[in-house]
Amino acid sequence: MDTGHVDWTFYALAEPHRLEIVELLRVRPMLVGEIVTKTKMRQPQVSKHLKVLSEAGLVEKDAVAQKRIYKLKTTPLKELNAWLEHYRECWEESLDRLDTHLEKMKEGEKHGKHKR
Amino acid sequence: MENTKDREIVLSREFDAPRELVWKAYTQQEHVEKWWGPNGFTTTTSEMSVRKGGSWKFVMHGPDGTDYPNLIEYERVEAPHLLVFSHGDDGKNEIQFHVTITFEEVNGKTKLTMRSVFPTAEARERVVKEYGAIEGGIQHLAKLAEYLKGM
Repeated sequence: MDTGHVDWTFYALAEPHRLEIVELLRVRPMLVGEIVTKTKMRQPQVSKHLKVLSEAGLVEKDAVAQKRIYKLKTTPLKELNAWLEHYRECWEESLDRLDTHLEKMKEGEKHGKHKR
Repeated sequence: MENTKDREIVLSREFDAPRELVWKAYTQQEHVEKWWGPNGFTTTTSEMSVRKGGSWKFVMHGPDGTDYPNLIEYERVEAPHLLVFSHGDDGKNEIQFHVTITFEEVNGKTKLTMRSVFPTAEARERVVKEYGAIEGGIQHLAKLAEYLKGM
């Protein structure tokens, strides 16, 4: 299956601090300074995480009057969600097939016993 | 045990069959090939050895003719109640799930619970190298998955 950028999304979100930033930006776009205050992280750390997040396409930067405002881009999250749903569906279908196959196996065992 | 509740997908199903039979269906090539994969898929095995440290190498053939190489590596094989393995592909996509399957006897039926844990950041050496740091595991993804539903 084509996993697209899902692996990048996974990677970017795997780090708790980055996930925290994503959670914050869900509410509204924020200045870097606001993210620093709210997360109690140091600015260089926040910048580093924002860099990873933007490379994964999860956030984008708007520069307004020299200020850097970050906002969330939802496309990778939607892709991730679709991918997870797909994973779940694949398994549901697989288990349906297992159910059918178990019926055949039960029949087979019965016949096996008759033969003995 | 590591708490992975926040980064896992759990599927559960009850089968009207004895536990030994469900175990067999899951661990024997002749059976597993008959049901494995979503509708329209078929499976060809090149190697299957269900034991601790063993692996199952197989290709899933999609309905449109696309082949998907798969590799399962067994970590715990405790018949007939526990199967633990990692499930990935041929290494190109780097997405790997850690899967724990329990088989429980419930009133003469078998309850199968499949717990798939999301890939961890640690597995991703390429990226880790690029950023020069090994970062923590995936957390809170369930919360994330929850709000993704509403998007």
